[in-house]
Amino acid sequence: MRKMKKKIVDIVTYFVLIAWTVVVLFPIFWMVTTSFKEKLDVFLGPKYLPWVDFKPTTKWWVRIFTVERRELITPFINSLIVAGVSSFFAALLGSMAAYALTRYRFRFGPMKNDDILLWIVSQRMMPPIITALAVFLMFRVTGLLDTHMGLILVYIAFNLPLAVWIMANFLSQIPRSIEEAALVDGASRAQAFFRVVIPLVLPSLSATFLLCFVFAWNEFLFALILTYSKAQTMPILIAMQHFQRGPQWWDISALSTLAVLFPIAITIGLQRYFIKGLIPIGK
Amino acid sequence: MTRGPYFVSMRRKRGGRVAQWQGRLFLTPTVAILLLLTIFPFLFTLAMAFGKVSFEGGALRVTLVGARNWTRLIHDARFWNALVVTLKIVSLSVLCEYLLGLLLAVLLNRRIRGRTFFRVTFLLPMMLAPIAVGYMWRMMLNDTRGPFNDFLRHLGLGTVGWLSDPHVALYSIVLTDIWQWTPFMILILLAGLQGIPKDYIEAAKVDGASGWRIFLYVIFPLLAPASIAAIFLRSVEAFKIIDIIYIMTGGGPGLVTESLTLYGYSVGLRAFDLAYGATISFSLFFVVLASSMLFFLLTRRARQISLE
Repeated sequence: MRKMKKKIVDIVTYFVLIAWTVVVLFPIFWMVTTSFKEKLDVFLGPKYLPWVDFKPTTKWWVRIFTVERRELITPFINSLIVAGVSSFFAALLGSMAAYALTRYRFRFGPMKNDDILLWIVSQRMMPPIITALAVFLMFRVTGLLDTHMGLILVYIAFNLPLAVWIMANFLSQIPRSIEEAALVDGASRAQAFFRVVIPLVLPSLSATFLLCFVFAWNEFLFALILTYSKAQTMPILIAMQHFQRGPQWWDISALSTLAVLFPIAITIGLQRYFIKGLIPIGK
Repeated sequence: MTRGPYFVSMRRKRGGRVAQWQGRLFLTPTVAILLLLTIFPFLFTLAMAFGKVSFEGGALRVTLVGARNWTRLIHDARFWNALVVTLKIVSLSVLCEYLLGLLLAVLLNRRIRGRTFFRVTFLLPMMLAPIAVGYMWRMMLNDTRGPFNDFLRHLGLGTVGWLSDPHVALYSIVLTDIWQWTPFMILILLAGLQGIPKDYIEAAKVDGASGWRIFLYVIFPLLAPASIAAIFLRSVEAFKIIDIIYIMTGGGPGLVTESLTLYGYSVGLRAFDLAYGATISFSLFFVVLASSMLFFLLTRRARQISLE
């Protein structure tokens, strides 16, 4: 009786999990296959299975990388530069701040370490539209509109709270005796941090970097407001192409596929961290 | 968060002043960037919300005019519409995401085969660019060429104007949001479930409690902090919604899917009425503030319950 009940629960479990897997994967599958469809296969109602329902073509992909290379690849490279550089600094500066907060005792007026940490982390909750309008004006005055530099600065600020939060959690788990040994041996604090602590947390630091990268890569609102041509990123390109070309699903699907490639690869690469709990929430 | 002792002994050895100076040096860049790009713009927007923005000979000028923008806001039907739309989207999607996330997290926490595969797959949607997600769902929900209406047609049911029918469009946005953000709930709730000591569940089993009762009286209460955190963090994010709306409906049909962020953006940067755009955006701050306060009250209450 008990065994049978367990079996039924197992069957229901697998059924639900597999059903949700289909729900998760189908839209992604739809987008990827659409980028390989002929125009007619898009216009003549939904076609699902490649080689069964329709004959796949690679011509849109070829076109992206040849005829349309100039206008389409620039935003891709912009995204890479902006997300890459900003995440590097977010992870670096964030772990420095996290290191300070886990190793020194601070007191700014009534604020102690935990208050400072909370203050930094809570900046993430700010609705971006509130700061975006003012940042638009600041950048207009300083000439940072539509530049890599401007977007990089904004994304560093955007990702710092997350980086500090994650790294504070990891750094608080590193035994202090290791750095103390280095300090006793005559290393300066900066040396201890860069030569001893950073190598120790390098895996976590790379995970933080990659997570920041994904968020910066996907970010929409700031990019929409702060760029218009030279520094446009992938999400903006997709939105603009969509408004210009309307029903040309194949091209935009190819671009969207390109835009989700890195995040998917990063998610798979970071699976270990996600399962162990990368984001220290609820502790 | 628990933390080991600070470098008290070190400081004594190396001299307190030097150590403090170095610590500040490590903290300064982060604080400076946040002050410059979050706090200052925040205050600037606040000033704009109480002022008038003009460009005289290319120079930017903000003149304070009192609460004029706010009176306009209170009498602005479009603002109230955007507020209600935002609240509807947030409450509906966060509720569904939580329930679905809880179910899936509980199932993922069982001893099953292919656990890693399921976990990684389930995480995928939240890592994808919302613009791409909005675009794929726009295609899926297309009236004539999308799979959704195709399925309905095969089932002999009529088609639905997923994004064109004013009664349905909002729910299509909610559906997309659920697809993208249920993973976030799974992530946090699963971590919460894994933190529940096995002994508690074993003890309940020994006492003869059924699986359902164990869930209701042992697991669910112990999961309360994770639940509250998940719901709170997700709500705060959901209030900011713009990207999937921008690409799926652009706020339409009519204004039925126009969120606060989208309205603030349109007024501030499309109509270039920065002062009023700032006022609309700033109202979102109060919404987020109110929900944060609610969250802190709830956490305190939950802590009291778990202490009893």
